[in-house]
Amino acid sequence: MWDQIDDMLRRAALRTVENVAEFLPGLVGMLIILLTALVLALVARNLVLRALRGLRFDQRVQHLGFSAVADWSAAGPSVLVARATMWIILFAGVLIGLSALGAALPGAFARTIFAYLPGVAAALLILVAGVIFSRFLARSVLIGAVNQGFPFAVLLSGGVRWLVLLVAWAMAFEHLGLGRGILTLAFGILFGGIVLALALAVGLGSKELVGRSLERQVREPADRPDKLTHV
Amino acid sequence: MAITGSSSSAATSDAPARAADVVVGLATYNHARTAGAVVGHVRQSLEALPSVRWCIVAADGGSTDGTLERMREAAGGTDAFVEVPYTIHPADALDVPYHGLPGRARALRAILQEARTRQARACLVLDARADPPSANWPAAVDPLSAGELDYVSPVYCRHPATAGLVHGVVSPVFRALYGLRLSTPLAMEFGCSGRFLEAALGETVWDSEREQRTIDLWLSTMAAVGGFQVGEAHVGGRHGSERPDVNLATTVSQVVGALFSEMESRVQVWQRIRGSRPVRQLGERQTCEEPALDVGSLIESFKLGYAALQEVWAEVLPPMAILQWRRLATQPMDGFRVDEALWARTIYDFAMGHRLRVIARDHLLRSLTPLYLAWLASFIQQTRHTGVEEAEARIEQLALAFEAEKPYIISQWRWPERFRPVKLRR
Repeated sequence: MWDQIDDMLRRAALRTVENVAEFLPGLVGMLIILLTALVLALVARNLVLRALRGLRFDQRVQHLGFSAVADWSAAGPSVLVARATMWIILFAGVLIGLSALGAALPGAFARTIFAYLPGVAAALLILVAGVIFSRFLARSVLIGAVNQGFPFAVLLSGGVRWLVLLVAWAMAFEHLGLGRGILTLAFGILFGGIVLALALAVGLGSKELVGRSLERQVREPADRPDKLTHV
Repeated sequence: MAITGSSSSAATSDAPARAADVVVGLATYNHARTAGAVVGHVRQSLEALPSVRWCIVAADGGSTDGTLERMREAAGGTDAFVEVPYTIHPADALDVPYHGLPGRARALRAILQEARTRQARACLVLDARADPPSANWPAAVDPLSAGELDYVSPVYCRHPATAGLVHGVVSPVFRALYGLRLSTPLAMEFGCSGRFLEAALGETVWDSEREQRTIDLWLSTMAAVGGFQVGEAHVGGRHGSERPDVNLATTVSQVVGALFSEMESRVQVWQRIRGSRPVRQLGERQTCEEPALDVGSLIESFKLGYAALQEVWAEVLPPMAILQWRRLATQPMDGFRVDEALWARTIYDFAMGHRLRVIARDHLLRSLTPLYLAWLASFIQQTRHTGVEEAEARIEQLALAFEAEKPYIISQWRWPERFRPVKLRR
C-alpha cells in the first residue's frame, strides 16, 4: 500500500513539475514581453514628446481648434499624446503577454480588441479631420459674413461648426458600429428639425425683413463701403 | 495694322518688325467700352511728337466684346498699331484678379517682348480701362529715351482716400521696406527704358500664378531694388483700378497678400535698407477735388468686425494692439482716430502672421478688411474739409510712422519667437 501511495505522490509531483515546466516558459515569455513593452513604451513616450515639442505641437493644436485637448492635461497636449502612446504600447504588451501564457479567455479578448482597432483608428481619423474641417469652414463663414456686413456672423459660423462636428461624430460612431439605427434616426430628426425651424422662422417671423433685404440687394447693390475705390 | 506673336491665330505679318523709339502697350480683355478711346488718345499724343518713331502694341487675351475692333477703328488703319495675343490659362479665369485682367503678367511680357523686338528705347504700358485715359505720359518719354530714368510710375490726381489701400498700406509699406517714395507702386501703368525691360524679361516670374494678379507690384519692387533710376509722372486724374464686382475683402487679400509675399522673397534686401529717398517728379502736379465720403458705414463695418473677429485677430495681434482696437470700437464717430503707429504695427503683425502661417493665409488677409476700413474711416475723418494737401501731409505722416516702426518688423522677422500674439500668451 505504501508503495502505491508513494507511486501516486511521485506521479502527482511529476505532474506538478511537468505543469510548472509547461507553464514557466509562457510566464517567462510574458514577463519578457511585458518588460520589452515597458522599455518600448518609455522610449516611445520620450521620442514622441521630443518630436512633438520640436514641431510646436501644443501651439498647432491650439491653432487647429483642439483647445479643449489642452484642458485634459495640465502638462499640455504633447505630454498627453506621449502618455497615451506609452499606455497604448503597455496595453498591447499586456494583451500579447497574456496570449503568450496560452490562456484561452485573454487570447480571445486580445483578438477581439485587435480586430476592433482599425475601426477605432478610422473613427479617430474622421474626428480629427472633422474638427479641422469644421474649424476652417467656420472661420471662412465668419470672415466672409463679417465682410459682407452680416450681423449674425458669429451665430452662423457657430452653427456651421457644430453641424460639421455633428456629422463627424455621427460618422465616427458609424465606424465604431455603435448605435447605428438610433444615430441615423436622431440625426435625421435633428437635421429635419433644424431645417423646419429655420423655414418657419424665416417664413413666418422674418418674411418682411427678408423681402426688404432682397429688394435692397436688387435695387441698391452698390450701397456698401465697397462703393469706394481702394486701389 | 500688323499682327505678330507666336501664338496668334490671325495672319502674321511677314515683314520684319519696324523699329520704334517708343512703344505704347495696352493689355486688354473685354475692355471694349474704354479701349478704343484710350488708343485714340494715345495715337493723338504720339502724333504730336513728329521726331519720334512710335508703335502701339495691343496685347489681347481673346476678347469677345469687340475690344480689338474698337482699337483698330481708333488706330485709323495705321501700320503702327500691332496686335500681340497672350494666353489666358484656365486657372487665370477661375481666380479673377481685382483688376479684372486675367493673365496680366503674360500680357505685359508680350508687350515688353514686342518692344524689345522693335528696339524701343522707351516703353509705356497704359491702362486700357482708364476713363478718361491718362494724359501727360509724354513727359516721361524723353527721360526714358535718354536713359536718365529706367522706370516711371504714375502719380494720379486724386484724393488719397479714394485709393485707401494704396495710400494706407501698399505705399507706406513699400517705402519703409525698399526705401523709395513711390505714390502708387501698384499702378497698372508704367514707363520703362530698354535697359529695364531687358532686365525684367530676363526674370522668370511671368508665368507665376501669383504674378498674374500683382505683376505691377513686382515691377515696382524690381525697379526699387534693382539699381534702376526711378521717377514719377503726374499723369492726370484717375478713378479706382479694381473691378466693381470684386468685393473689397478679395481685393485686400490679393493686394496685401502680394505685398507680404514680395516682402518674404526680398527679405535680404529690405532688412538692410534704412530711411527712404524721393524720386524725380515729371510733369505738373494738378489739383483735384475732395470727394464726399460717408464714414458711418465704414465705422459700422469695423465695429461688426471687432465683435466677431477678435479670435482671429488674437492669432496675430499682441494684447496691447487688441486693447487699442477695443477702445476704438467703443469710440463715438467724432472721436474715431486710428493712431499711425498702431496701424503700422498692425500691418507688420499681419505680415508676420502671414509669414508664419498662423492661420490660413486667405483667412488672415481677409480678416484685415474691417481694420483697414477703420483706418480709412479715421483718415477720412481727419482730413475732411482740410483740402487735398492736408490729406497728403497725413499720408506723409503715416509713411514716416511705417518707417519709424520698421525696426519692430525687422526684429520680429529675425527672431520669430518675439512674435507674441494674444493666442500664444494664453
